[in-house]
Amino acid sequence: MAASVYTQILWWLGIAAEILILARSVKGNSWQKYRAFYLYLGTLLLIELLRFSVYTLKPQFYRPFYWYTEFLATTVAYAVILEVYSHALVNSPGVARIARTFLWGVLSVVILKTTLNAATELVWSPATTHAELERDLYTVQAILLAGVIALVAYYAVATGRNLKGIIFGYSTYVYASVISLAFGSLPGYGPRPGWRLVQPIAYLAALLIWSCTLWSYSPDPEAETESKIDRDYKLIARQTRRALSKARSFLKMGGEL
Amino acid sequence: MRQLLPYLGVASLLLAVTALWVRQIFLAHKSRIEVQVPRKGGARGGSTASHDDLGERIFSLEDWEFVSTNTPSQIQKMFLHERGVIAISWLRRTRMRISLVMRAHLAAAGQTENLHPATELKLALNYLVFRVLCDVLIGCIWLRGPIRTRKTVGQTLRTVVWLRGAFEQLLARVDPANCKTLRTSFNHRAARN
Repeated sequence: MAASVYTQILWWLGIAAEILILARSVKGNSWQKYRAFYLYLGTLLLIELLRFSVYTLKPQFYRPFYWYTEFLATTVAYAVILEVYSHALVNSPGVARIARTFLWGVLSVVILKTTLNAATELVWSPATTHAELERDLYTVQAILLAGVIALVAYYAVATGRNLKGIIFGYSTYVYASVISLAFGSLPGYGPRPGWRLVQPIAYLAALLIWSCTLWSYSPDPEAETESKIDRDYKLIARQTRRALSKARSFLKMGGEL
Repeated sequence: MRQLLPYLGVASLLLAVTALWVRQIFLAHKSRIEVQVPRKGGARGGSTASHDDLGERIFSLEDWEFVSTNTPSQIQKMFLHERGVIAISWLRRTRMRISLVMRAHLAAAGQTENLHPATELKLALNYLVFRVLCDVLIGCIWLRGPIRTRKTVGQTLRTVVWLRGAFEQLLARVDPANCKTLRTSFNHRAARN
């Protein structure tokens, strides 16, 4: 009963925070900039409301409904990761090229592993349980997020407050999801109510981060069109040219100036 | 429990890169200032030459042979202590110069179109090994002094030289401007000796 009360509190807090973030995005027009992210958030809001309706009206259908909608949410989340990639690396074409190689690499490994599993197992199933499938989906997301964060950090790519918030918030949620689902898919851990609360709490934390960082639209810092070294070199060259022309005019006037 | 390891590994990786990114965001202003330092150093005429001589002298036995035969033990102790301090300072300076060049390269690479993932990966690994070796050297000298650890220092320096060569070659391919800075700011001869 106590767990149910906590779950309901988390549920309502989550819905309230989602509505707040979506309302702010409409007011500040930031939804046009991060469409995939707000689509994800809108989908989650809709799912939460539908879940609540099913939970209240037809509680016996709640469990299967939960898992199907959970897969839908996890799939839509991939659009958010692709949006993060495109937004973060829009001004760094070389880094974007490396990111594409990384994305294709991860995709190839996932396809290869799935094909190998299908070929070696007698009865093929994508995963033994719902929790395992969800855990695997979040693990791939964690690898993709780690990749984009590593590239952004390594090449010191400048990112705006909104994008930083989306990345931090979603990373928090994905991190907690991988850990909780990994433990949750172990035999004996599943029925424990404790691990089930980890994901909603992490999601609430992510919503809190998004509420703060997406409160108003903040554009991504524009990339410098030329490197600082080139710019400094041009500045020195300009100063030298000026000094030379001064010296030339001084000589022309017979050294009187 | 063993089946958990890959998932915990991926989660830890995500946590680690996020923590590094947060750290970098907080230190962003500092690193922007530091990138300009090697150019200032290069502009001062004689500094490079003196830096080369310093490295060569620090790890040569000449001074130690003189001190160990002509002076009392107190002076010898003082000499070893001071030589250790100078050696560590020289290594730190060398490491800093290389990392500044690397940072400058990364800043420039962020805006370059023609980046090769394989070359970038090699460069990153070379740089990482170089940094680790420099730290190991500093640790060795700090623990046992520059004369006692001379053999280890010599071997490690040879590896450092080899790594620096590989690093330079890669950087020359990717970023010739930064490679030039690196060549003028790093001691060639000291490590070879």
